[in-house]
Amino acid sequence: MTRRLLLASVLLLAAACGGGGAEGGDGAAGTLRVSGSTTVNAVAADAAEALRAQGMRITVDSQGGSAGGIAQLGAGEVDIAMSSKPIADSDRTAFPEVDFVPTEIGKDAVGVIVRREVIDGGVTSLNREQLKALFEGRVRNWSELGGPDLEVFIYDKEPGRGTREVLDAYLYGKGVKAPPPPQSDTYAIVGGNEETRTKLRSTPGSVGPLSSSFIEGVPQLAALAVDGVEPSPANVANDRYPMARPLFLLTDGPPAGAAKRFVDYVLSSEGQELVTRHGYLNLADLAQK
Amino acid sequence: MTTTAAAPTGATRVRRRPDRVRVAATGLAGMAGLALAVVVGFLGAGLLSGRVQWGTLLTSATWDPARLDFGAAAMIWGTAAVAVLALALAVPVGWGAALAVQELAPPRWRRFLRGAVELLAVFPSIVFGLLGVAFVRPFVSSVADVPGGDSLLAAGLVLALMVLPTIVAVAVDALAAVPERVREAAAACGLQPGEVIRAAVLPAARRGMGAAVLLALARALGETIAVFLVVGRADGRFPSSVGDLLTRLLRPGQTLTTKLNGPESVLAGTSGPHWAALCALGLVLLVVVAALTALGSRWAGVGPVGHARGHGHTRRRELSGARAWRRARDRAVRVSLAACLAVGVGSVVAIACVVAIRGATGLDPRFWFTASLGASGGGIRDQLAGTVLLVVAAALLVAPVGLGLGLVLAEYARPRPARWLRTLTLTLGGVPSILLGLGGYWLFSTQLGWGKSWLAGSAVLAVVALPPVAVAVAAAVSALPPERREAALALGLRREQVVLSVVLPRAVPGLVTGLLLGLARAAGETAPLLFTATVFSGAGGLPTGVRDSPVTALPTHIFTLAQDAADPAALRSAWGAALALVIVAGALVLAAVPARRRMEVERA
Repeated sequence: MTRRLLLASVLLLAAACGGGGAEGGDGAAGTLRVSGSTTVNAVAADAAEALRAQGMRITVDSQGGSAGGIAQLGAGEVDIAMSSKPIADSDRTAFPEVDFVPTEIGKDAVGVIVRREVIDGGVTSLNREQLKALFEGRVRNWSELGGPDLEVFIYDKEPGRGTREVLDAYLYGKGVKAPPPPQSDTYAIVGGNEETRTKLRSTPGSVGPLSSSFIEGVPQLAALAVDGVEPSPANVANDRYPMARPLFLLTDGPPAGAAKRFVDYVLSSEGQELVTRHGYLNLADLAQK
Repeated sequence: MTTTAAAPTGATRVRRRPDRVRVAATGLAGMAGLALAVVVGFLGAGLLSGRVQWGTLLTSATWDPARLDFGAAAMIWGTAAVAVLALALAVPVGWGAALAVQELAPPRWRRFLRGAVELLAVFPSIVFGLLGVAFVRPFVSSVADVPGGDSLLAAGLVLALMVLPTIVAVAVDALAAVPERVREAAAACGLQPGEVIRAAVLPAARRGMGAAVLLALARALGETIAVFLVVGRADGRFPSSVGDLLTRLLRPGQTLTTKLNGPESVLAGTSGPHWAALCALGLVLLVVVAALTALGSRWAGVGPVGHARGHGHTRRRELSGARAWRRARDRAVRVSLAACLAVGVGSVVAIACVVAIRGATGLDPRFWFTASLGASGGGIRDQLAGTVLLVVAAALLVAPVGLGLGLVLAEYARPRPARWLRTLTLTLGGVPSILLGLGGYWLFSTQLGWGKSWLAGSAVLAVVALPPVAVAVAAAVSALPPERREAALALGLRREQVVLSVVLPRAVPGLVTGLLLGLARAAGETAPLLFTATVFSGAGGLPTGVRDSPVTALPTHIFTLAQDAADPAALRSAWGAALALVIVAGALVLAAVPARRRMEVERA
């Protein structure tokens, strides 16, 4: 018994030291690895669940959000990156040998999400300059924007999150570096959509950028109109809402093999049903416009 | 263990035959050195891959990777603030509780009371994070008028609970090492019990009590995951004036560990200025924590009496005063010490109750044995399987290495190198687990080209468990009565044979105890697994390969769910999984109790 345990130990040690060696090799070659945006993750996780029932092996991860997924795809650590922002030139220069091929699977809106009392207090729509002032920490109280006498608390997303980049692109223009985060006391950082929703919900006077479909069924939260345009499905589909964004699955080269099977499933009617179920617009909705 | 078959007798012994056992032990101990080398190596390689401007790093508070501004002063301030806050709360309570346990409680209660407070250490840091999200954030938000509750204060409160068991354990050891005659002599001089503590016991236990603070500080500085969930992670917050210090505590901030646990470690790539700056943060953290751990371990290990003698007489002047006043004061001292103990035991009971009540779903066997569903539904079957796999594989990895290192520490190394090695081992035990995680990420993902892999995770967890294993083995071997060794030598056995037939059997109970305790800690680790081994979903059950075979695990599952705390279903699952994790870790610790007791009895 002891001998056998010892043998197992030694083998494992050898495997750990030898970099997996030959026998470790590609034991999990059949596993499709998907990683990235928490917005897309909602759909991808369900799609993976369905495909697993058909015998596919798929892992889904969301560490680091969209940029994390793109970096992992660039480094060859995953097969599909989920992204809630278009691939940027800087991504292509960072990974010159990778042929990023985006497949659009649907669309959603980055909402400017506030607590209900802010809207009830009179703030229903903000324009670009007002949003800039808000997220740069220059607005301290909602009354400055015609709202209730309530301190503003900003939850901004971590750098690299698709949501944050879409907001920055709207505020400052595409490819322009956003200013550093404000030196305000009422400002904190959040990561995934779930965390953003949780913290917005529990903080009076809070505001943050968040996929507008993530607040469905959360009565404490609501989305502001931007420049008078609400993030309604119609406004998102026809791009009248300025922070509408496509959702992507990215692959290195056109999808092939297991990746193709996954992408095809998400594009199928069943997969597109999942897109709708999570509150996003699917491709059929977009085609109708 | 194996025995020596067909050993040549003394007459035909070949001279200078290599001692294979010694070679094996030294080789295995060398692998422990490898672990430390990886951590230092990845930081070093990272620092060299981009120029780090140390002056800016240490003095500027602006961190903006997009503009290549890498100032870490705000993170250093945040790290220091939460740690000092935690210690300010935990040290008085911890010291008081330790004094109450060791000096005031009846001897037969001591073990129980000490064990009760130390039970806090059974709760993994992710559980403290969950407590932070569910209770501390709302508490801070309502009491201190902090919107949302994300703040350095919240992090400090959570950390205070987490370092309490460290303080109590080390301080009780220090007090227990003070010889009884010191107390008897002081009492014979007519001192009240409280005065005995102040005038005789504390001066004698000074070093050990200080060690408790140092080790707790190291623990607080290195903690990642619990802080991550409640600190707000806002960069660039630096107090502009002295008056600003206190208000800053009520605001979101960032610490070195939370920065390293954030997305930047994955986004920075593993070379260039951004990665180099992150490595610089890691190095600052490593140097401070390692220095504290090394110093603290030395202080904790130093015998007490030697230093105390010179100081005993200087205390006399404080003991004057009317007898009634002295008695009243003594009662006050004793009451406050007992109150400290009550706070310590009370927080254990409270936390245990919260986890048990909130996590009631975790008691349902169906929850344990059904797969999770979607983001927050279903059970924890796969996460449980993943955690068990990680822990078992870590045990297999760490057992031979820990045994070898323990033998080197207690059997082979000469006293001076042994002391250094021991300090190094304890220092390895103090390395913040986020650095072990990043080291594993660097080694396995970027150098060896693995994807996330259960074996990579197990290797990191093995490093987490290594120091307790090695130290326990060394302790067991040191406790070997010299007669046994002498008897074996007198029978003509060679060193190799003595070790195999006399020393090793003695080391096995130590190995088992160390493994159980070390793995209990490893089972709850979260941050290292996020970078090396676990994914959000889809790594169902047991992996089929090694390199690209991630798993899901309980701590990382709780971490994901804790961030979705607005969803009642997610929170319910999180608590259920937390209870399951506590049960797993607690079972390992409890299993160690009989082995530990047997060793103590044998030693006595």
